[in-house]
Amino acid sequence: MAESEQGEALEERWQRAFDRKYPGKEFKATTRSGIALKPVYGAEDIEGISQEDIGLPGLYSYTRGIYPVQYQFQAFKNQLVHGYGLPEHTRERMDLLTKEGMTGYFGERIHNLAYDLVSQNGYDPDDPAVEGKAGLGGVAVYSARDMEALFHDMPLDRSAVVHIVREPSMVMLAMYIVAAERMGFAQEQLRGNSMNACYSRPFWDTVGFPPKNTLKLMVELVKYCTNEMPSWNTTNFTGYVKEEAGATAIQEVAFTLAAHIALVGECMKAGLTPSDFIPRFSFQMAHGNDFFEEIAKIRALRRMWAKINKERFGCEDARSLQARIYSQTAGSALTAQQPLNNVVRAALHTLGAVLAGTNAVQTASYDEALSIPSEEAATLALRTQQIVLEETNIPNVSDPLGGSYYVEWLTSRFEQEVYGLLSKIEERGGYVRCWESGWLKAEVVKSAYEWRERVNRCEEIVIGLNKYAVEEQQRVPAFSYSPNLQRIAIERVQRLREQRDNAKTMAALEKLSEEARSVEVSNEGKGYLMPAIIEAARADATLGEMMAVLRQVFGWGYW
Amino acid sequence: MKSKEKIKVLLTKAYLDAHDRGMRYVAQRLMEAGMEVVLTRYGAIPEIVTTALQEDVDVVGISCSTGGHLIVCSKVIELLRKHNAKGKLVILGGIIPDDDRAELQEIGVAKSFGPGSDPQHIIDYIRSHVAKAREQASSSAARQL
Repeated sequence: MAESEQGEALEERWQRAFDRKYPGKEFKATTRSGIALKPVYGAEDIEGISQEDIGLPGLYSYTRGIYPVQYQFQAFKNQLVHGYGLPEHTRERMDLLTKEGMTGYFGERIHNLAYDLVSQNGYDPDDPAVEGKAGLGGVAVYSARDMEALFHDMPLDRSAVVHIVREPSMVMLAMYIVAAERMGFAQEQLRGNSMNACYSRPFWDTVGFPPKNTLKLMVELVKYCTNEMPSWNTTNFTGYVKEEAGATAIQEVAFTLAAHIALVGECMKAGLTPSDFIPRFSFQMAHGNDFFEEIAKIRALRRMWAKINKERFGCEDARSLQARIYSQTAGSALTAQQPLNNVVRAALHTLGAVLAGTNAVQTASYDEALSIPSEEAATLALRTQQIVLEETNIPNVSDPLGGSYYVEWLTSRFEQEVYGLLSKIEERGGYVRCWESGWLKAEVVKSAYEWRERVNRCEEIVIGLNKYAVEEQQRVPAFSYSPNLQRIAIERVQRLREQRDNAKTMAALEKLSEEARSVEVSNEGKGYLMPAIIEAARADATLGEMMAVLRQVFGWGYW
Repeated sequence: MKSKEKIKVLLTKAYLDAHDRGMRYVAQRLMEAGMEVVLTRYGAIPEIVTTALQEDVDVVGISCSTGGHLIVCSKVIELLRKHNAKGKLVILGGIIPDDDRAELQEIGVAKSFGPGSDPQHIIDYIRSHVAKAREQASSSAARQL
């Protein structure tokens, strides 16, 4: 306890000063996750935290950052999500944002690509189940040829590309590999990442493979890349979708780490060594409204990742202990009311992510609650990142909040809460069991409900919605899709089926089916799925055709 | 004696569209307000109408957060008409650009509720419109007698 000269504890002196100034008053506040807060923190609050838990950037437990310095030599990536319409429409946006300064590490091109609802879910645009959805919410890519149209003339060996799809992660990567091959690049030259995030379906509420087979398929992607594409990032643990579905920050981190633990277990069963594949895992975390809790969340996640991989999986090398985190500012925090306010919200979220020292940032566009981002809104999101990086001097010093009594206390407190929830998940049989039982989903739906009820009671303020609301709404230019999207997408895929060597395509799909069956029946990671998918993509099988084979073998439905 | 029955609402969203948070919240609030809610997902658009007819709902609520709502709504309303079920109230929720409102009205969508809509407004809207629709249905039935 810090003693004053008179021998009286600082805390007691503070309490007396408080009582004199505000007699009888009590201050009550919590974080959005419900952690109770004091009005001020002091040296006493961080006395119990070990040196290893705070330390310095680049040193275990990596709480303060994974590298010895944070942005001084390697600025965060402008990992802006983009994608809509046909490949040529998206390519136009890709080139525009690149021209305006969107960059990855060391000046590389970066493209964080959203695929449309049809391809994201593994269909072709002429499937009756997806009528009217081609080119919506992302780019319409259904074959290696579409992939070539998207990336033609790009230096793929000097570009980082993120393919935002879940269930078809392997198929999308295979089509990218084949397109790159046709453009003259070998697969080991490719950089970027697959989402491989099919495990997040309890929160990302769509159809997919049954839980146990989902894990098997995720292992297949990890296995192939570990052997053949060592610089490809295989799995993106997405906390973002949980937070968007309503999870608290504590649930977001706990459920994400629980999925990691489950996947590592499965990979080990398939004969892989953790330190060979864990370095290629990364995170996509939300950055939302509770400014300091969101920062503490990112710091706690880095610490927990290091500890779990060291203590539980025996990893020693630094790369297995360094959590690479991409922060995505929260779309759910944006409002359709007074949409220009979203510019401010996204800027604050971006600032928070940067103060937390994440490695890449997606800043939401202010029109997200109205439509997909217009060109103007997407450029403004990029400018927001450029202003934070280049005008504020913030990046000169790594982890500028490190050592703050409040931030360090909250980081450690947050960590304890997450460990608590992780043990609850383990008591319930682990991640897959909690998915199968519906518990994960129910917990998040409950949090979403409680949040909205707090908004209705004005206990949670949403400016422009439950406070300072106005009758007249700001009009912002809305993005609109080009007409004939559906027709053109369907025509292209049908033309491909007519033009290709169908005997070759069918033989490749048959081979894929055989390989899929041997993976499905094996519990020890036998079979090798990815080469068969690449072969089918080479034979110009469409995304929907390849996924149809996988659906038939692994099962498909609503879990 | 349908006027005394619980109001029955279908809430549905494409299988492909993951943004179910709003729909699930509205479902919970409608149930708390004493309505019966059928919560489903659809693949092909006609599935919405099949479910609406089989469940004999008063209200068809479609949630759409990723565009394509004009196609879905026009097809649903056309099919409802074809099945002599145009009395069912069709409402829309999700990310709906203002520019589409006139066209939605023309198609026959009664109302769309965008992000942040007050759940009590949705409840009140459904109650008053279903009451009216039931009145009309029973008076036209009486005329036929």
